[in-house]
Amino acid sequence: MSEFLGKMAESLIAGKVDEVTDLTRQALDANVSSKDILEKGLLAGMEVVGKRFKANEMFIPEVLRCAKCMHGAMEILRPLLAETGVETAGTFVIGTVKGDLHDIGKNLVGMMFEGAGFKVVDLGIDLAPAAFVAAIKEHNANLFGMSALLTTTMPKMGETINAIKEAGLRDQVKIMIGGAPVTGEFAKEIGADAYASNAASAVDTGKELLGL
Amino acid sequence: MLEKTMLIKMNQQAYGTTRFQILTGDQIEQIYFAALDVLEISGARISHPEALELFTNSDAVVSEDNRVRIPTAMVEQALGSCPSKSTLTGRNGKRSVKLQKNEVAFGSGADAGFVYDRKSGERRESSFADVEAAAKIVDYLPRLDFCMSHGRVSNAPNPKTYDRHQFLAMIKNCTKPLVVTSIDGDGLRDQWEMACLLRGGEKEFRLNPLFATFIRSDSPLMSSNDTVDKLLFATEKGIPAVYTPCAVLGVTAPASIAGVLVQTLADALFTVVLCCLKKPGSPLLLGGIQSVMAQAKETPSYGSPELHLTSAAMTEIYKWLGLLSSSAGGCTDAKVVDEQAASESVMSIYNNLMAGTNLIHQIGCLDGGLTGSLASLVMCDEIIGMVKQIAKGIQVTDETLALDILKEVGPGGEFLSHDHTYDHWKEWFRPTIIDRSNYEVWSDSGSKTYNDRLEPEVDRILESHAPEPLDENIVQEMKKIINLADKKEV
Repeated sequence: MSEFLGKMAESLIAGKVDEVTDLTRQALDANVSSKDILEKGLLAGMEVVGKRFKANEMFIPEVLRCAKCMHGAMEILRPLLAETGVETAGTFVIGTVKGDLHDIGKNLVGMMFEGAGFKVVDLGIDLAPAAFVAAIKEHNANLFGMSALLTTTMPKMGETINAIKEAGLRDQVKIMIGGAPVTGEFAKEIGADAYASNAASAVDTGKELLGL
Repeated sequence: MLEKTMLIKMNQQAYGTTRFQILTGDQIEQIYFAALDVLEISGARISHPEALELFTNSDAVVSEDNRVRIPTAMVEQALGSCPSKSTLTGRNGKRSVKLQKNEVAFGSGADAGFVYDRKSGERRESSFADVEAAAKIVDYLPRLDFCMSHGRVSNAPNPKTYDRHQFLAMIKNCTKPLVVTSIDGDGLRDQWEMACLLRGGEKEFRLNPLFATFIRSDSPLMSSNDTVDKLLFATEKGIPAVYTPCAVLGVTAPASIAGVLVQTLADALFTVVLCCLKKPGSPLLLGGIQSVMAQAKETPSYGSPELHLTSAAMTEIYKWLGLLSSSAGGCTDAKVVDEQAASESVMSIYNNLMAGTNLIHQIGCLDGGLTGSLASLVMCDEIIGMVKQIAKGIQVTDETLALDILKEVGPGGEFLSHDHTYDHWKEWFRPTIIDRSNYEVWSDSGSKTYNDRLEPEVDRILESHAPEPLDENIVQEMKKIINLADKKEV
């Protein structure tokens, strides 16, 4: 078993999409559980990727390739995991605030969370507070992230948090914000739980908030 | 997507690298003819007995005041005897420097009397251990190709033999080819004997030199007996010689740059003829430091734009003549590694690389070459990386035009997760010490300046890098040569 999983982690770190998918199938054929494949193969690999990214040893295009590997394997594993009732690390709702069309950074954060084993609900761009509130409720999210690249759209973050409070959802969800003009100071001001400066640290911060 | 067709583009031209040119062929010709005039009309002055005899027995005219005037035919004949290439190879045979047209190699400087103490930070005399530390850093840094002594071994038992000790400190700690300085001809002979021990004999060294010898000379158009001693010994043994006349514009050379080029070329051609008379065919690299005056009027500035312009122009002239070249780069007049050091280093590294200078030496020298800095070596390694990235130029092909990718991603899309990005991003220059993080990350990690980050990197290399050890038997044999010199030269 460990032979498959070690190889899988290695292939994932090397960004070999087809190889990771093949190994996932082979492991399932050899009766390795979907939970072990996820945790000891894929997530173990992604953990190394996250560390290397933070240490500047890996660069965004490489990390994205690893996330693609993860994504391909998850297509196969997701129904099986649901059957066996394996819980995900959490449900993360993410989107870009009203008036802002920038989504590259936000997509990256989403992919990194998926890589860390979260269920990610990516709502897209240009979202009104009500859309976020509805999604948090619908998916029973325990983590929520917003991004803004423009200083002019930053105030929308505070408005969104107020809307979440008014809907009575503030206690069920931890809120993170990010984007080039955003700072830790600003996060405190508007009552968010945390700020993250890049996609790799966002995952660490999110896990910390949830006590994982 | 359009189908690939069999259409072909005709009459295409492409540059393989970024282009750089200061002088035209016509301008170089004018400078060359002027230099030939100088050698015919005013000549050069030397007092070395063997050299004078060599010239007296040739078609040159030697006057009573030891002035040697050379006919053009002799110069052009000698030019034809210079080898077009030579290869320096480090002690384990794995790392080499190709000395041939448009091949560029970078290396440290030599003989700095002072260094900054790693613990106290104070400027003090350089020692054997400092030369060892610098050699270790050069062995590690990926973009430095050859090793010079960096500092001087001021704590040698005999002040007249420090050059042998420098050789030992370098060869023990660096597997890259060396460029050595010698006090005199005897010093060079001892260093050469030590190198022959490693190479397995005189002929093996000639075929595959372990080091080049760096020979400084004065201006205008005169050479000391020690300089000539070293030149003649190197020529006899086939040791590639880096001939380096130093001149100060408006003091020991004309104040106009074209005038300095004429004088430097005349000096170089004089040396080419002398070496050819001794023994035709020994590798010779021509360089020099021609710059405006620094504070002390007779010393050239190491960071002036005039130096960089002159160096690059001299390289163009030497290439035109089929000769090998060297210049100073990565050095500065600044006393510490600061903004001045960085900006002057960038200028010299950029110019010399673009010009295609064969040996770019003096990396890591501060204070006009008087102080050596390990931090500057590390800084320049990164600068060389950036400049090389520009020098690579732009390749234009179907793959790099990325037309299919542009169509696929479309307006408002992203390229970050595209396979094309994954395939090509590794071609980018990636900084190691230069910081590109955002303000929060930078301030969270201590708001460190470039200099704050350089010093720990020097410590890290010194602590973690272990150069391949040199056979202890050979070290002992080398020490015998050094001990003999230490006793003899007192």
